[in-house]
Amino acid sequence: MQRTLLFETFRFSIIFLIIALTLVPTLWMVSMAFKPIQEWSASGGDLTWWPKNPTLDNFRFIFGESSSELIVALERGAGRPILASLLSATFGTLIAMVAGTTAAYGLSRFNSGRNLPLALIQLRLFPPMAVMIPVMIMWAFLGLTDTWWGLALIYGIVTLPFAFWLMKTFFDDMPREIEDAALVEGCSRFRVFLKITLPMMRPALASSALFVFILNWSDYLIALLLTTRDWVTIPVYMASLSSSMTGQLYGAKAALGLIAAIPPVVMGIAIQKHLVRGLTFGALKE
Amino acid sequence: MASISFKNVSKRFGDNLALDNVSFEVKDNAFFCLFGPPLCGKSTILKIILGLIDPDEGEVLIDGRSVAGVAPAQRNIAMVFQNLALFPHMSAEQNVRFPLAERGVDPLEISNRVAEVAEKLNITHILSKPPSQLSGGERQRVAIARALVRDPNAYLMDDPISALDARLREQTRVELRRIQQELGKTLVYVTHDQEEAMSVADTMAIMEDGKIRQTGTPVDLYDSPNSTYVAKMLGSPAMNILPLDFAGKGKPISFSGNTPKTAISIGIRPEDLEIKLAKPSNGASVVNVEPLGSFTTLMLDTSGKQLLATLRGQTKIQTGDHVAIMVNPERAHFFDKSGAAAQAAG
Ligand SMILES: Nc1ncnc2c1ncn2[C@@H]1O[C@H](COP(=O)(O)OP(=O)(O)OP(=O)(O)O)[C@@H](O)[C@H]1O
Ligand SMILES: [Mg+2]
Repeated sequence: MQRTLLFETFRFSIIFLIIALTLVPTLWMVSMAFKPIQEWSASGGDLTWWPKNPTLDNFRFIFGESSSELIVALERGAGRPILASLLSATFGTLIAMVAGTTAAYGLSRFNSGRNLPLALIQLRLFPPMAVMIPVMIMWAFLGLTDTWWGLALIYGIVTLPFAFWLMKTFFDDMPREIEDAALVEGCSRFRVFLKITLPMMRPALASSALFVFILNWSDYLIALLLTTRDWVTIPVYMASLSSSMTGQLYGAKAALGLIAAIPPVVMGIAIQKHLVRGLTFGALKE
Repeated sequence: MASISFKNVSKRFGDNLALDNVSFEVKDNAFFCLFGPPLCGKSTILKIILGLIDPDEGEVLIDGRSVAGVAPAQRNIAMVFQNLALFPHMSAEQNVRFPLAERGVDPLEISNRVAEVAEKLNITHILSKPPSQLSGGERQRVAIARALVRDPNAYLMDDPISALDARLREQTRVELRRIQQELGKTLVYVTHDQEEAMSVADTMAIMEDGKIRQTGTPVDLYDSPNSTYVAKMLGSPAMNILPLDFAGKGKPISFSGNTPKTAISIGIRPEDLEIKLAKPSNGASVVNVEPLGSFTTLMLDTSGKQLLATLRGQTKIQTGDHVAIMVNPERAHFFDKSGAAAQAAG
């Protein structure tokens, strides 16, 4: 097609629109995080794109210190919820990845448990609410309610099917002969898994882990039902950020949102270099 | 130092009969070649020898002992896989070291052996690179080095030099033959290149569709194929196979000799056709001439049947010429209705 000026203009408008739709709300959050209360609360005056008087007040506020006479300092800072989110999401991811990867390897290589893969995905077809009530009862009985480890355990269980399915696809695509070669050259099956398969799967493990971590990190419902006070997570804590005088504390929420965005972004960047290369690049003839 | 034998081995993958009652015997220290078209079951045979696949029926013996239930690592057989199967996360050197390191060989000894085999295969300069940075031919040599580095009972190679260009392939197969003799080890070698098979093998087996059609020395198979299939698989250009009524006194192919009673077709290798310029009568006409240097290929047409003939060196015969064709009865092959060799004694 001829790239006329009109066409180019049209193309870039569309691109611009899409970028705007996705990025502007994020920008708005970033900007709001640095605004003083007068600028982010509608009652305080006109809303502006950029903070006129940039400040770290919102960050100080969520960590328990208020510099504004308009809102009283929080009784509980965001430190504990951040820790709760980090611990539960990280260990939940660990549980899902360890169990999911080993299960996927077994089912991929030995073709056992014919219906198990499907059964695992069917777990996810259940409305979470229907499952959560029994879980709440069990967790209460086991003393796991309102603990980060209780949360990590349920996160691991809930995201296990995703870890399993992602890893199974990767294992299914890995050429058998590479493992066969190691078996012939003197390895036991377990050693093959440790020395050949896992190192080769590093990119697959990294991307699956990132995906599972993001799922866990952004959970709201489960944490809402299973934590009450000591170990509430960031999303639950964020929902509670309001004041009787000013209503929703948007500035504080924006600041917390910004902090919450850090771990997935950092993980994504750290993993990126593993993702660009194919798994078996160079192993085979073609 | 191992003989390998298959006794009535069959293997199914679902409905697909990959190996159908296969029996053969590889003698100790032999260069044994499996030759056949794609998907005829060559790789499956090697994987059964290794213990990576269990046969459904039949028995596999290594050194006369059944190896049913023996793990691949315990069979002490080295393999070059068809797709090479290098370990992508290791350097070429780590790949070659791997078999020795896994067996707990002393590190100094490992280094010596790796250096030696790298020298032999001319890969010393690329040892530090990962497989992803090697060319196809280099990868193949690394894979061969990984197999040669240790001291197994037998080596298996699944089409190991197919990625090389024609000239390098010729050199490498000579080299492999020499290495095999030097090592004095049994080598089972898979190829789908008939010339390669014939040039290296002590004994070869020709396969079709999960079955072994004939086993013997290359010369035996070439001179006495037991079927039209085997006859056509060996030799280039392939054997001419014609209905029997094309050959005889006063026929397009002049032939005097007994023919077996059951024979319905005659097979003559292109180099066994004797060609003379002649008047246009009931001989053949020359359709095409390919001068290939050391020999010349003629395509002949006789009553609508095409024949290929090869002549040593160059020839004056040209396209459009008429020729008479003769065959030495001793060089003719006969086949019956089923395509099997017909016995002259009948
Ligand atoms: N793991 C497997 N699962 C299912 N079918 C298989 C498997 N391995 C081989 N087959 C089938 O068995 C038959 C023989 O395959 P095999 O790989 O032994 O052929 P081959 O002679 O080595 O062919 P090529 O020359 O293409 O390498 C084929 O029909 C193939 O599809
Ligand atoms: Mg094969």
